[in-house]
Amino acid sequence: MPSAAALRIEIERALEHRFPAALTPAPKTIREVAPTGIRSVDALLEGGLPVGATSEVIGPESSGRTSLTLKFLAKRTEAEQVCAWVDAGDTFDPESAAASGVRLKQLLWVRCRNEREVTKAKPWTRLDQALRATDLLLQAAGFAAIVLDLGDMEPAHAMRIPLATWFRFRQAADRTRCSLVVLGKTAYAQSGAEVVLESTPFQPEIVGGTVWSGCTFAVGRKRQRFMQFNASARKPPTSTWSAGAAWETGRSS
Amino acid sequence: MSGELYACVHAAEFPAQALLRLRTDLQSQPIAVLDGPASQEVICSLNRHAVQRGAVLGMTKLEAESISGMQLLLRSSEVETAAHAVLLECAAMFSPRIEEVSEGTACALALDIAGTERLFGFPEKLATRLRDEMATAGFRVSVAVSAYFHAARMKATAAHGITIIPDGEEARSLEKLPIAALNLTEEHKETFALWGIRTLGELAALPEVELVKRLGAAASDWRALAHGVARHAFQPIEPEVALKEFYDFETPVEQMDSLLFIGARMIDCLVARTAGRALSLASLTIYMELEGGRVHRLAIRPAVPSVDRKFLLKLLQLEIGVHPPQAAVVSLTLTAEAGQSSKVQLGLFAPQTPEPSRLDVTLARLKAIVGEDRVGTPVLEDTHRPGSFRMEDFAVGAKSSALKTERSGMALRRVRPPRPVRVVMRAMKPVAFNDGGSRFEIEAAYGPWKTSGCWWSLDGWDAEEWDILAANNNGEKFGCLLVLDQRRSEWRLEAFYD
Repeated sequence: MPSAAALRIEIERALEHRFPAALTPAPKTIREVAPTGIRSVDALLEGGLPVGATSEVIGPESSGRTSLTLKFLAKRTEAEQVCAWVDAGDTFDPESAAASGVRLKQLLWVRCRNEREVTKAKPWTRLDQALRATDLLLQAAGFAAIVLDLGDMEPAHAMRIPLATWFRFRQAADRTRCSLVVLGKTAYAQSGAEVVLESTPFQPEIVGGTVWSGCTFAVGRKRQRFMQFNASARKPPTSTWSAGAAWETGRSS
Repeated sequence: MSGELYACVHAAEFPAQALLRLRTDLQSQPIAVLDGPASQEVICSLNRHAVQRGAVLGMTKLEAESISGMQLLLRSSEVETAAHAVLLECAAMFSPRIEEVSEGTACALALDIAGTERLFGFPEKLATRLRDEMATAGFRVSVAVSAYFHAARMKATAAHGITIIPDGEEARSLEKLPIAALNLTEEHKETFALWGIRTLGELAALPEVELVKRLGAAASDWRALAHGVARHAFQPIEPEVALKEFYDFETPVEQMDSLLFIGARMIDCLVARTAGRALSLASLTIYMELEGGRVHRLAIRPAVPSVDRKFLLKLLQLEIGVHPPQAAVVSLTLTAEAGQSSKVQLGLFAPQTPEPSRLDVTLARLKAIVGEDRVGTPVLEDTHRPGSFRMEDFAVGAKSSALKTERSGMALRRVRPPRPVRVVMRAMKPVAFNDGGSRFEIEAAYGPWKTSGCWWSLDGWDAEEWDILAANNNGEKFGCLLVLDQRRSEWRLEAFYD
């Protein structure tokens, strides 16, 4: 009777023209990380979001996912790098981005258009447009971070994105050393994502009972490749961070 | 040895060559070019294949149409002007002193190449390079080099390929040329025909004194021309640099492929001419004359000047794809502006940025997908109007300052266009709102924050903003921004906090 190792080698050899090393676990990759600019989140992620991989920031509305992503972009643009925001729902607010410290001149904003508005161009849906735009930007190379904003997309629609698309994005991000951040209500990329951060609903900070001055958000690490989880822990590791209202920070010059 | 040296370039059948230069698909077919008023058109120029099929100059359109496989094109002065400029520019690469010696339907240029040996080598080498350069630009030319201007001119007109006339061999080189090579009047032609003089060699053999006695002082010049030693006062022209290509379609073109086929060849020519001056193409402007007389204009401006023809052609294709002409195209004109070639000093520690030429193509593709006005970089307007910004073209290398803030900002997600809502007020505060589909109970409302401006104009604003903490039917809490437009007395859901 052949041993398990011999059997594995035999199967891998039979499949090698389609899947190289089909049954061998992928070697652990130590990735470069880019800080998000939020200390507690960086501590949670052991440095920041991975470079050359897909990260997902998920959560319901008002859970701080956009604020976290903008802070990450602020750090990237501060290092004179170029970023892109692919806006499937056309919800990006430049004032908020500037207030978070994003250098707008170094940000490419792609605003997907509702198919009813499209006259000359082909009538692709917003989701199609967003995926095509992300694909093009990843292939173009040179972007330090690309945000695919599916934050307003219904999960029923976004879940239809084929897994092959996410794998292609992951490969392209790896090749071009780009941090691809996917904003969504739930995780879409599945095993195509290196890190999944889950934001949970906020706690408002009220000053004097009349002014809403900020929020405290909780963020948890739902998935991280090659990370050893503590089996005894009931819940995934989480941390909290706070964000102030835009008027607190003022406008960019 | 006179110390002078001339190269003469002769492009025969120039009307046909000018039309075929950009149509490589027609170059292997019999082509005749028609000229003259409508219904009286005759062949004014034709190519080698047409001659082999039996076509001759002066043949009427009806006669030409009877030859099988014959393609008939209409003569275009604009195409010939553009082609002439290209020819002149190619010649200018070898010598700044050029004289126009065109006759009839041929285009000929004489170049003063004295002293260029150290740049281009011996005359044979220069002539070969000159002919190759002309071939690259789409012209079949003959080249003759001589120490005498007229010897080079006449030999280039009569011979094919490259002819180098050694010093002192001018008379022997020209002896077999017909007497028609001299610009004689009909009367003198008849006289020479009566004498039995048919070639320049026979004319050169006649005694000069006797000849002058019978035909006058001009006969001395003809004899000198026949000997190939006639002197000439060179009258150089100043070649005007105009990066322009023009093509007039025989039939209106509707398909993009056909436009791009010609456009690619035009870009090739423009790139070659620009690169010859150690420059790059900084911008391309495309004028398409449409049926009905309208002109469709497109402009391409790469982030950095380029001589990459594939890249420029891709930009042209994407630009035409985004802005297609609304009618069939009658003629196509490409004009270009030259710019300095980009020189970028890269550094090991410089942050990675997109390659400018690749980014141009990516941006053009993105614009084709989502629309031209929806790709770029946002720029905040200098106003207090909430949510005001404009889009500008994205460019790598643009630096900007930003706020240095330790605390993160609470971001908004805009609702575009703002959603009208119905709001229930109690004690001057909103307590619930309905967006037409669902009802949301408001847990807390902070405001109103009043904002107004531009009251003197129609686009002024006067609004009350409320920061709202609400919950949906599932009990999920969210924060949003409700705005009461005081001018219209209507509530809108402007954004969500996230």
